[in-house]
Amino acid sequence: MILADAVLTTAGVESAFSLADYYPVFIFLGVVTGFALSSLIGSQLFYRLGLKPFKPTAVKAMAYESGMDPVGTARMQFDVKFYLIAILFLVFDVELLFLYPWSVVAYSDGSSPEWKQLFGRLVFWEIVVFMISLGIGYIYAWRKGVFKWK
Amino acid sequence: MNSLEHTLQQAFQLAVPEVALVGVACVLFLLGTARGVNRHLAGFIALGGLAIAAISHFTALPRVPGIETVTPLLGDKFAMFVRMAAFATGAALVLFAWNECDDRRSSDYMACLLIATAGSSLVGTANDLIFLFLALELVSIPTYVMLYLPGLQSKKGQEAVVKYFMLSVMSSAMLLFGFSYIYGLTGTTNLAAIQEILPRLVAGSESTTAIIAIVFVTAGLGFRITAFPFHFYAPDVYEGGPTGTVAFLAFVPKVSGFAALLKLFAFLGSAHAVANEFVKQAMMLFWILSAITMTAGNVMGLLQNNLKRMLAYSGVANAGYMLIGLAVMPTQAYRGIDEAVVATGPEAIMFYLLAYGAMTIGTLTVISHLHSPNRPVETVDDVAGLRETHPYSAALLGIFLLSMIGLPLTAGFAGKFLLFMSALAAPAAAPMRDLFVALAVIGAVNAAIGAYYYLRVINAMFLRTSLSAPTPRRTAGPLWVTAIICAVFTVAFGVYPLPMINLSRAAVGGL
Repeated sequence: MILADAVLTTAGVESAFSLADYYPVFIFLGVVTGFALSSLIGSQLFYRLGLKPFKPTAVKAMAYESGMDPVGTARMQFDVKFYLIAILFLVFDVELLFLYPWSVVAYSDGSSPEWKQLFGRLVFWEIVVFMISLGIGYIYAWRKGVFKWK
Repeated sequence: MNSLEHTLQQAFQLAVPEVALVGVACVLFLLGTARGVNRHLAGFIALGGLAIAAISHFTALPRVPGIETVTPLLGDKFAMFVRMAAFATGAALVLFAWNECDDRRSSDYMACLLIATAGSSLVGTANDLIFLFLALELVSIPTYVMLYLPGLQSKKGQEAVVKYFMLSVMSSAMLLFGFSYIYGLTGTTNLAAIQEILPRLVAGSESTTAIIAIVFVTAGLGFRITAFPFHFYAPDVYEGGPTGTVAFLAFVPKVSGFAALLKLFAFLGSAHAVANEFVKQAMMLFWILSAITMTAGNVMGLLQNNLKRMLAYSGVANAGYMLIGLAVMPTQAYRGIDEAVVATGPEAIMFYLLAYGAMTIGTLTVISHLHSPNRPVETVDDVAGLRETHPYSAALLGIFLLSMIGLPLTAGFAGKFLLFMSALAAPAAAPMRDLFVALAVIGAVNAAIGAYYYLRVINAMFLRTSLSAPTPRRTAGPLWVTAIICAVFTVAFGVYPLPMINLSRAAVGGL
């Protein structure tokens, strides 16, 4: 096996890019293909051996598309309630998305005591302000009746 | 304390007025969900928020300037000029939109207006590509809501919102793409650092990449200033949108767009020594953009019968005039140190922006005042005989239109004069000197073409007789305040423009 060269980046010494490191992708590809093939072959085998009933209906024969009709025009009307929920979801999603990196970086071992003394409070209050602004968005949505499914 | 940390801590102080504005906007949003809130309360809170922001601007100003190449926010004279312009416009537009929405939606509208004002003020302060982009988005996103809220039911209003939303998102994507090239070239997002690094890069083999970056950034910002190939949304949006929001759209995105353009392309001035050819290419780009934009705007304006569509094309033409200033900006570097000059490009842009804002917002105020659902004021014929039926409205509209034509003793004249002079006064050593003289001539010809359609409205108002008098709404007090402020501004800085010229000169001193 060829050893990867080391390079110096801003984050320290790291191994250089090498395509061979990405071999798990091919394992994954094999598993996916194997699963698809074996389930197709398996269902055929069960049917041929008489272990599985065969009673097709129009609905059963349809490709599964989350309850939507997969064939036909894509320009149909969706209830606006779905969009409201989707937007509301962002409030919580963005919160988590931002809080994870914050909590990893803000008070990690890498931050020096000097840094903590200067910016520790600032970083804390920043995240508090961020949470409050999301809270305001949540209260606004609540008061406007987004949670009532009517 | 070491000065790097000092700089970073100060950056927060520089944004205190905008944070205050957004805070008041949050209060307004929450208040809008309570029962019994009317539009007067919302309007007064919005005005109070702007006052708090203006006061905190003076109290929270940091005393010691930080390191320019580190700080994401820069509190120089340019930033203060843009901030004051943004707050003043915000106050004028709050008064304009006082009766625009019904009681239930008014506080949401005012909150969005405050956030957009904070965004346009932050554009002037931004010293970082990411911050600049966020500030520009802070202007765009509330605008979608503001376009939609007052006219929920009208089909044309909905068409305007969807058009504006789609094209605005596309322009933001182009701008971001251009920014990514600048970042890829220089390895930094700090604008002050980019001004240092980029001239050296364009001198070498990177000039093609830099041209791509410039083209995409100009395209993205060209949408906001309604420059020629990106202007086509404007007439439809202006026609369908509520008048108060149209006044906002006509002015605030132009201020933030030009502020961003001036900030981003300031490096061209320092690049001439090392990359003459590159600077020439960039100047040629802005030259063509300017000439086509003003010609297209004026020629299309001739064909319009609808007042708001006409104003949209007039906005396109005015963006073309202001682009003259951007095209001549790099020639400043060829000038001798003690060489006197009437006006440089950037300072002419700053002056003309304010003059343009006053006359456009003023015109829309009068249209909004006269308009009523029973007797719409939409076309040129609708204002016929206004002199007899509404003499004061006719006089105000007359002042604003004369300023748009660029007749002397109006701010519009002073602004056009400065812009054309900045092109004529391009130093002899600069490349494309003759082309700039030609650009000034094209500008003057365009001003003459534009005069035709403005005069058509004046002709209708003063020389024709009316078939039916417009029936203005009864409660128009705040609207009149805005109209009179705009008129006073237009006349005062037309008669005596020197203080405003000095302010603009001080603001762009660093460019």
